Amino acid sequence: MNMSKYFFKLLCITALLGYMSEGYAQSTDSLSHRKLDTRQHQGYTGWKRIVPTHVKAQYAGGMGVMSVGGGWDYGQKCRWETDLLMGYLPQRYSDAFHVTFTLKQNYIPWSIRCHERFSIDPLTASMYINLIAGDEYWVREPDRYGGSYYRFTTRMRLHMGLGQRATYHLRNPQGVLRSISLYYEFHTYDLDMIAKCTNRDLKFRDIVHFSFGLKFHLMRQ
Amino acid sequence: MIGGLLLLGSCEVEYHPYDTRIDGETGIHAKQITRIEQACAGRTALRFAVISDTQRWYDETNAVVDALNRRDDIDFVIHTGDIADFGLRTEFERQRDILNRLKVPYLVLIGNHDCLATGEDIYREMFGEFDFSFSAGDTHFVCLNTNSLEFDHSVSVPNLMFIEKELRNYPSTCRKSFVLMHASPKSEQFDKGLVNSFHRHVKAFPGLQCCIHGHGHSYAISDLFEDGILYIMCPQIERRAYLLFTVNDQGYEHEQVFF
Repeated sequence: MNMSKYFFKLLCITALLGYMSEGYAQSTDSLSHRKLDTRQHQGYTGWKRIVPTHVKAQYAGGMGVMSVGGGWDYGQKCRWETDLLMGYLPQRYSDAFHVTFTLKQNYIPWSIRCHERFSIDPLTASMYINLIAGDEYWVREPDRYGGSYYRFTTRMRLHMGLGQRATYHLRNPQGVLRSISLYYEFHTYDLDMIAKCTNRDLKFRDIVHFSFGLKFHLMRQ
Repeated sequence: MIGGLLLLGSCEVEYHPYDTRIDGETGIHAKQITRIEQACAGRTALRFAVISDTQRWYDETNAVVDALNRRDDIDFVIHTGDIADFGLRTEFERQRDILNRLKVPYLVLIGNHDCLATGEDIYREMFGEFDFSFSAGDTHFVCLNTNSLEFDHSVSVPNLMFIEKELRNYPSTCRKSFVLMHASPKSEQFDKGLVNSFHRHVKAFPGLQCCIHGHGHSYAISDLFEDGILYIMCPQIERRAYLLFTVNDQGYEHEQVFF
């Protein structure tokens, strides 16, 4: 419990720092000082909008051992991201080999450019839906149950996460890669949140899990 | 970043809510049955408690463990199924960790909720086979998987072959029998085509005292087949009650105990 409290304190402090840095950046813009949040959206136009702005690889997170995929960032400061990821769960960790699909929405309100080459995103918030392939999982209950028996889906889970990122900005402006971010998240999911709401004995650390990944931010070609 | 990384020590990664990476003790029944059989060897009297349907009721499961631990007159505890609600690995692990606090041995039958997704695999590894039996002194306990609906008739559930084998190999030291299951023969889970043959098999056990089951979530005593064989339903743990069975040479008594 202490660790959970510590984590939320940490998130609050870093989030506050992010907010203050944004205020600082805005107040110093007029003085031609260096911006703290240097993010700038470099989207495509027309049909090229479908070209992903980044690719990601994530370890764990309730979406398999490893997941890879791409996504798009948007908003003036790339505060929003949508990712499509495909992961796998090997047979040694399940009854059979399973593929999973994830639709992930991220919100990254602040970024602090603390060095020419480095920036820190003090808070990321994400919500994602994961689907697992396999005969024993269902979205709609099999007919043998004759309607609504269990009233939940085993195939699809809704996860929520909070985390942080550190980004290295590459020197080469002509290359494919713009930056590489290492991110981590603490996440939980719908069924465990329900369990937490009805059980005082269940601690936050029981329902919160850790995941991390890499984001490769692509240069607009 | 650093603070978050420090938290690594207290949180684990999760590959998938339905993965089968069991953390902690497995093969529980083999160990617990050995404890029961050794502790009760040669006895004709014993007392056991029955709890049921603890699915997602962690506070209440902790409370019943505390209540049972305060007693010193119980030989073992039997859980008549639905230890998990959604069939999640973490649900099995949390409930097992709570039940492991019991001072006396415990056994868990498989319930229909325990069969969801990969639940069957987790149950088998954590506890053991779906159908099993053990003897406590001169009393034989037959624990059966009766969740036919979960197996979609792909295998015979209940397993009549297992029951026949139990009848053939009935221990010579036993004179009394209890048959336990999660879903009763009259529940929607039970294979309608096997109801009568199941009950016929069950009645054949020497000195059958009664059948004990869960699933219905309330306390009830029913003469389901109107032949004097009682089916006693254990309430779900949310009712904050357990059943206490006292067995001796004269037969058995039972009561519902609130905690």
